[in-house]
Amino acid sequence: MTIDAQIPVKLYYEDVQIGDTIPKLIKSPISHLQLVRYAGASGDFNPLHTDPKIGELVGIGGIIGHGMLIMGFVGQMLSDYVGPTALRKFDVRFKGMTRLDDIITCTGTITEKYEVDGEARIAGRVHAADQNDEVKVAGRFVAALSRRT
Amino acid sequence: MFDKSKIGQSFPPFTLEVERGKIRELALAIGDDNPIYQSKENAQAAGYPDVPLYPTSPTTFAFWGNKNMVDQLASLGINLMRVLHGEEEYEYLAPIYPGDILTGAMRLVDAKSRHTQGGSMDILNLEIDYTNQHDTLVLKARQVVVVRE
Repeated sequence: MTIDAQIPVKLYYEDVQIGDTIPKLIKSPISHLQLVRYAGASGDFNPLHTDPKIGELVGIGGIIGHGMLIMGFVGQMLSDYVGPTALRKFDVRFKGMTRLDDIITCTGTITEKYEVDGEARIAGRVHAADQNDEVKVAGRFVAALSRRT
Repeated sequence: MFDKSKIGQSFPPFTLEVERGKIRELALAIGDDNPIYQSKENAQAAGYPDVPLYPTSPTTFAFWGNKNMVDQLASLGINLMRVLHGEEEYEYLAPIYPGDILTGAMRLVDAKSRHTQGGSMDILNLEIDYTNQHDTLVLKARQVVVVRE
């Protein structure tokens, strides 16, 4: 199977400067179908994410999105930016619940460049927020990049 | 209320095979159409030996790889309907590709109870270390879960 989407251009250590912003990723509105599909893909079948009645029952008012789906969105932004095998560390805090129809935008900033274990690394902060700028996920990452030389 | 005697407890290890189809399924559920996650051919065309791990693939290791995870969390006295995900962290220590056999060991590292005006909550810190078929430590996953009373 092939898909016509573009493979992102490879990022080199020399291309990145402290303070750079990562190209932001704006996702499609979260749908019930996406949460059902994500439940199947991830194996997280907690009905809080798929069954509206459960959400009412436990007092959170309807379905909430999987936090890990939002971390996945941020992962997509990072994979597009540094490439899929460059990540060395990726951690997030979940700051707020996501609801159906929320439109999540992922952003990030480079905070460090350094060498360790013979690897050239960058570190940065990442966020995911909804259409009202309410932060859902705040996190950090470390990635190892190739040098041009 | 959470039973403090469980702090430090390790759960029986679980073993899983890293599967290409699960990586592809996760990428598609997240809405990422990057072709390198879709097939070995695409990944190799982009210079990778096989389909690379998705940044958040470790969540599928925990949910699909450990079929007893829900029971293990329940054995700590956790009501899954009242669980909120607080934090998630991955340290990617060595390459992981489809066909690798990983063994994961989950441990309850710490737990605290916090009392507020709104009620009380338990905060649990879990860690899973993954080693591959060559006994190399390849991934550390850390998780904070919050249980509302």
